[in-house]
Amino acid sequence: MEMDELAYSSRMVDWAPLGKLFLVLALLIVGLITDSILVPMLTFSIGMILMAYSTNLKVPTLLLLAIGEAVLIMVLGSGMISILGDHSQPALWEDTLLWFNIYMTEQSFNQAWLIFFRAIAGVTLMLSFACSTPIPYLSFAFKSLHCPNEITELIVLIYRYAFLLLERFLVMIDAAQCRLGYNGPMTAMRSYGGAMAGTFIFSMELAEKSEAALACRNYDGTFPIFREPQKMSILWVIIALGLAVGLYYVGEYTAGWVNMAKLFAPLFGWDV
Amino acid sequence: MSEIFRMENVTFAHPNTSRNVLNDMSLSIEQGSRNAILGANGAGKTTLFYALTGVYKPQSGTVYNNGEPIEYTKDGLRKLRSDVAVILQNPDEQIFCSLVEEDIAFGPLNLGLDKEEVAVRVAKALRDVRMTPYARRPLQQLSGGQRKRVAIAGALAMNPKVMIMDEPTAGLDPQASMEVMELAEKLHLQGVTVLISTHDIDLVYKWVDNSHIIYGGRIEYSGPVEEFYSDPERVYRCGLLTPSVFNMNRDITKIDGLNVTPYPRNCCEFTAKFGNSKKSGKLICVAGEEETVAGKYEETMKDLSGYTTGVYGSDVRHALLDKNIDFQFDAMDLCFTHAVEGKDSVLFYDSIYLPTIKEQVDKLKAIGFDVDLEVVE
Repeated sequence: MEMDELAYSSRMVDWAPLGKLFLVLALLIVGLITDSILVPMLTFSIGMILMAYSTNLKVPTLLLLAIGEAVLIMVLGSGMISILGDHSQPALWEDTLLWFNIYMTEQSFNQAWLIFFRAIAGVTLMLSFACSTPIPYLSFAFKSLHCPNEITELIVLIYRYAFLLLERFLVMIDAAQCRLGYNGPMTAMRSYGGAMAGTFIFSMELAEKSEAALACRNYDGTFPIFREPQKMSILWVIIALGLAVGLYYVGEYTAGWVNMAKLFAPLFGWDV
Repeated sequence: MSEIFRMENVTFAHPNTSRNVLNDMSLSIEQGSRNAILGANGAGKTTLFYALTGVYKPQSGTVYNNGEPIEYTKDGLRKLRSDVAVILQNPDEQIFCSLVEEDIAFGPLNLGLDKEEVAVRVAKALRDVRMTPYARRPLQQLSGGQRKRVAIAGALAMNPKVMIMDEPTAGLDPQASMEVMELAEKLHLQGVTVLISTHDIDLVYKWVDNSHIIYGGRIEYSGPVEEFYSDPERVYRCGLLTPSVFNMNRDITKIDGLNVTPYPRNCCEFTAKFGNSKKSGKLICVAGEEETVAGKYEETMKDLSGYTTGVYGSDVRHALLDKNIDFQFDAMDLCFTHAVEGKDSVLFYDSIYLPTIKEQVDKLKAIGFDVDLEVVE
């Protein structure tokens, strides 16, 4: 729910959804195809700037926690990559923890940092897109790409009814709470189960009634669009491709410039 | 007056059920009339509405629209539903789009209207239900009452010939309910046939021409409702209650030995009948449009500073939001009551409501009270 509200209140909400998507994908791809760590660092920075602009620096706590969790997972993943180095290369750090052999090399350490920055750049770029593009706008954009009607209409209906059913579920949970439905773990589980079953039955009933209501409103199999979001202009293509090409050449030129192992060497006493 | 809908011996049961929801039902709805469909829960009101819009095809009997049997073909139903708009009891069942204005535009766009025309209709419908500031809001961020208004706006934007409202005031606050009744009256004055199903018998009693009482899937009674309400056993059997004004009129006339007719239906008529008022106060009715009424207000109130003021109609109410208005809702009844009590008042109204004002004057005349009325058009 918060994500949705964030998207509607974003300062980038009126930007062309396809343009934003194209820009984000171009930056993601260029971050993946270059070996220089500077490129994912730059795309990460662009993602952060876009997200800050989009949300006016008012990111909800829940979203910050989700980002924090994603970063934590990436730190763990990158950490694993860094300690699974190639044994043919000299080790920066070698140890055994229980049955696990730690073997960190200069290459694995650098590789881990590169992957970490690529991953968090992906998260921030995708979040900047998600935080500024409501799902209906996205479905309209898909429609303009001649995506099949069945898919775009499913997106619209799922989006609409997901909120409706969630709302119903929360009402049932509150109602159960009013009747001591959480008095003990077993009762709580029963209450949650009952609310889920009730929501499911309600969804069937709602589907039946909505079908009749759709007929009353002259539904002919397609959802018409009243106010279309902005179309992707040539400017978007130029900006996205220009940035991507620029970053690619930055990557080519700066490959090997930044050696993370060397940067951390004084801290850990490594001989690099 | 010609019939817009006629049902002849219509029987309908939901698939895989044995109980007939509509049971040999016959009904006639006059074009341009104000109708109330009354009945207990489960009497078949909503099913009747779906039968009138061709959503439910009866197992037997015939539904006629404008004298022609409904054609249950794609084209036939499209034509029917272009003329007939429905507001369902639960707005969530009829709101499909994610944004307010998208949903209001849904029906008109399905009719194939161009976007300029749709934009005009959407803006008008939003204003009529006081939802203009919410045009670009996602529906899940609205309250239940606001969603109801969106559903009403969606039906208004269709510019229908028949408006079917299934419990339109359920879940709305009293002020919003009054606005819905104003809208229903406005539609009636525009020539739209209005059918309202409601449990708010007091509210609908003030407004209705013909009441159709449903009991057990049949029409128990059709016509001016006083005859039905005069039979308490029948009212009880149908799961209904009589309106407060009707009860008070019946009881007071019994005590005072007065004639029960003419039946007062609202506060001013009741006061006129039993208030022993000797002289009418002055009632100045000023017609206005949204663009001009603010100027008219200043001009009129310059010399009438002591007068009580009221507004009737969404355009005038919207235009005079920042003015000092005494009666924002139900103002027509309240201003007429003021006049009956010998007090002076000014009513600013949307110009379309002039026939309603004249109708009220005639009803008071029938009771024996002449209102000192001045209409400024």
